[in-house]
Amino acid sequence: MGLKGLKTKDKHIKNLAKIVGDRSILHHKEDLLAYDCDGFTIHKYLPKAVVFPKDTLEVSRLVSYCSDNRLPFLARGAGTGLSGGAIPVNGEVVISLVKMKKLLSVDYENKRAVVEPGFVNLKLTNSISDKGYYYAPDPSSQYCCTIGGNVAENAGGAHCLKYGVTTNHILGLEVVLPNGEIIEIGNNGIPDSPGYDLLGLITGSEGTLGIVTKITVRILKNPEAKQTVLAYFDDVSDGSHAVSDIISAGIVPAALEMMDKTAIEGVESAAFPVGHPRDIKALLLIEVDGIAAGIDEQISQILDVCKNRNVREVKVAQDEAERARWWANRKTGFGAMGAISPDYLVQDGVIPRSRLPEVLNRINQISEESGLRIANIFHAGDGNLHPLVLFDARIPGQTELALSAGSACLQACADVGGTITGEHGVGIEKREEMRFVFTDEEIQAQTDIREVFNPENLLNAGKLFPSPGRCAEVKKERKEAAL
Amino acid sequence: MLETVSLSDLTSILSQEQIMIEEENNHPHPLGNGGYITVFPETEEEIQGILQYAGDHGKKITIQGGGTKRGFGGQTEKADILLSLSKYKGIVEHTVGNMTITVKAGTTFQELQTYLAAHRQRVSLDPAWPEYATIGGIINSNESGPKRLGYGSSRDVVIGLRVVYPEGSIIRLGGKVVKNVAGYDMNKLFIGSMGTLAVMSEVILKLRPLAKYESLMLLSFPDGNLEAVRLFATTLLESMMEPVTLELLTPALSEKLTGQRVYTLAMSFEDVESAVHYQEEFVKSISPAQVQLDILPQEKAQAFWDHFYILKPNGALLSTDTKTAATVKIGVTNLDVLHVLKESTLLQDSHNLVVQGHGGLGHGLCQVTLKGASDDILSAIAYLRQFVEQFNGYLIVTHLPYVLRQQVSVWGNPPSYFYLLEGIKAKVDPKRILNDKRFVGGI
Ligand SMILES: Cc1cc2nc3c(=O)[nH]c(=O)nc-3n(C[C@H](O)[C@H](O)[C@H](O)COP(=O)(O)OP(=O)(O)OC[C@H]3O[C@@H](n4cnc5c(N)ncnc54)[C@H](O)[C@@H]3O)c2cc1C
Repeated sequence: MGLKGLKTKDKHIKNLAKIVGDRSILHHKEDLLAYDCDGFTIHKYLPKAVVFPKDTLEVSRLVSYCSDNRLPFLARGAGTGLSGGAIPVNGEVVISLVKMKKLLSVDYENKRAVVEPGFVNLKLTNSISDKGYYYAPDPSSQYCCTIGGNVAENAGGAHCLKYGVTTNHILGLEVVLPNGEIIEIGNNGIPDSPGYDLLGLITGSEGTLGIVTKITVRILKNPEAKQTVLAYFDDVSDGSHAVSDIISAGIVPAALEMMDKTAIEGVESAAFPVGHPRDIKALLLIEVDGIAAGIDEQISQILDVCKNRNVREVKVAQDEAERARWWANRKTGFGAMGAISPDYLVQDGVIPRSRLPEVLNRINQISEESGLRIANIFHAGDGNLHPLVLFDARIPGQTELALSAGSACLQACADVGGTITGEHGVGIEKREEMRFVFTDEEIQAQTDIREVFNPENLLNAGKLFPSPGRCAEVKKERKEAAL
Repeated sequence: MLETVSLSDLTSILSQEQIMIEEENNHPHPLGNGGYITVFPETEEEIQGILQYAGDHGKKITIQGGGTKRGFGGQTEKADILLSLSKYKGIVEHTVGNMTITVKAGTTFQELQTYLAAHRQRVSLDPAWPEYATIGGIINSNESGPKRLGYGSSRDVVIGLRVVYPEGSIIRLGGKVVKNVAGYDMNKLFIGSMGTLAVMSEVILKLRPLAKYESLMLLSFPDGNLEAVRLFATTLLESMMEPVTLELLTPALSEKLTGQRVYTLAMSFEDVESAVHYQEEFVKSISPAQVQLDILPQEKAQAFWDHFYILKPNGALLSTDTKTAATVKIGVTNLDVLHVLKESTLLQDSHNLVVQGHGGLGHGLCQVTLKGASDDILSAIAYLRQFVEQFNGYLIVTHLPYVLRQQVSVWGNPPSYFYLLEGIKAKVDPKRILNDKRFVGGI
């Protein structure tokens, strides 16, 4: 392949093209525009180039090249991240993993599968469902997000209440370190490899410690049975209390989701309406799975709880088709806001479950103060809120207003002992909000670890952490002077 | 030799009763990992003070919880200071509806479970010696038991930690909520770190409800036919049943627990009663004809496990067992546990040892205890390590007297990326104050 088609004088572009081939690199401005942001669209930056390696060796060579030439770089999966993790804020070389999308192997006997990072989440379940298996982490974006991106964000989903988030399902990783070295961690699923748990550390590190090029995941046998309940409440706090009551009854539901009135207005106006009454204040979508013989008892307990909390109507899905409709309605909830608002901002705070009623009140107040509507559609069972701030970017000042309302929601979560993100990550969006939950010293403890892996900070710089606070800097100087 | 620890320095941090000086003529502890002075901090400020003192004076500290793992790793007979967390205990915060708890690291597992049981909740771990083992020690050594199959290990239940860094600062990791991706998942670094990074002061755990009903099925295979075990286990694992344990016991261990010297499979089921009985019926329907099957309901199942958890050597009890026995933890791919336990059992004759072992067919971890003469133990460890490496597995030594520890590699060969582990240690504990040389590759 000659370099003619490249039409560039930039030596770095030419050299990168030598690694992946001319047809696997983008560098013209019009091509780069599609990569100037991810699912967080408020800030946009053009990358230097986008490259599409086909295997680990190419990733390693690209990384070595960038590192040798001090070019900033980052990894990108499907670009559905909601916190700006894949945005090239420093004009990075974007290493897109979408061509590395093979399912490498499935080992049913040992319940594990090996995938390349660009393999799409839902495809895994689809590839193994005929044998009665599935992959548990189910972010609502699962039809398009990549498992590499899931590992980077430690993605969650509706069914993580019972089954855990991505980190609980990752058994092994192949990683290209920022110096280009390829390492294997996790020993293909043999648990507790001796040494510090790098598997757990790298999962959720938002692509700042290395580029994941191969993933061994746990797959699960389908539960013998499942049943899904839909409950409508006239009062939000009745709904919130029902959530706590279900958990207190010793039930571990597979999923326990909640939507408020504004959210219901959104989903009912969008592509997958199911006929929820428009005048209710809250709904709960509850799923129980496991051994068939034990499910009825748990469902009848759940129905009792809802009745005790003044439910207006409660029903059990009659068949798989009805259950699927309810879930499609829920899982497309974020996008559905597009039907009732030109723009929306998704937030991702987490609170101790018992504080649900007061935090929902506070969010209501924030909505009133800002004059922006806020819809709530969230994983109630584990206290993971998703306030959706509705706004219109065409109106001057509204974007900033929406950002500050979103930040105020996170402050409300932090104030009750919660945190600022449960599954979407910090990215660039919530860097400053990290200070709501961590001191400068605690943030430095984390950047110290980054330095071990990414000492030049060329890989995905400017993400995850706020700009250093004064006292942290002073302290660092002192520390260095002491050594 | 460095100057010894000055008592007057410590008394500015602790009261006299919190300091114990080792008598000169005391016999050395057979498991090592001791200290010339033992301190018992009762507050976080005291822990900070001790660490700062050590940092300023170039002292080394060994950290201890209940002492059950005193024979696990470590090349030091006595450090300058033995920091015991046994008096740093108690529940800090428990909101029943949140199903999370904050507890001080020196709280024993039994105290924690007894407290939680009153609220019909529990921590879903099942370590050995619950009356002795502290939650901090369990997490630092990443100990798990047979129920790991159903409920996972420390990395699945720890949601937050409060640690004291070697230079004395308090660092919070994770938080109080069950889902959290703010910053790096730093908890993971400290779980299983063998106290080589920081002193864990508080632990925040995710809880589960107590099982509504439980039973234990014991399936014994009198002819020792491990192919039959494999066939049965594969069928069960491929079904939709949800066993909480699928633990194979070697004949010698089984004899201790059931009186019968045969390979026995211990399967626990925990769910609502109807679901448990349904699964019992399923197991009966797939059991081979020649096996013997016993079902222990509720209290009987619990009694079996209570007994099971106190059979391993306990570093906190100085019996002859502690002094002459070894325990190893072996990790392999699930069903390779069968090869490991069979080979371990053969060591009884080839190495003239008493061998009690068990391993989870659904998670791949085995624990094998070897008792006998020192030389036989050492050569058996070397032999077993070589054996499991054929299966890409690893072997680490989780209990061994100090003198013998100097003659084996406790952790085996360090991984190719060892420099990253060293880099982490150097960032967090640059002066190597804490548990020096207790971990992989001499970290
Ligand atoms: C409609 C919608 C619904 C969503 N619902 C959920 C949900 O329910 N739960 C949830 O958790 N998230 C949800 N998300 C967020 C998003 O889908 C997840 O964060 C997902 O894991 C991102 O995957 P991706 O492939 O798109 O990664 P990208 O957005 O491309 O990248 C995300 C981050 O990962 C890094 N990265 C990507 N690949 C790699 C790799 N191979 N190695 C190292 N770093 C890498 C990037 O640098 C970036 O920092 C939703 C998003 C949308 C748009």
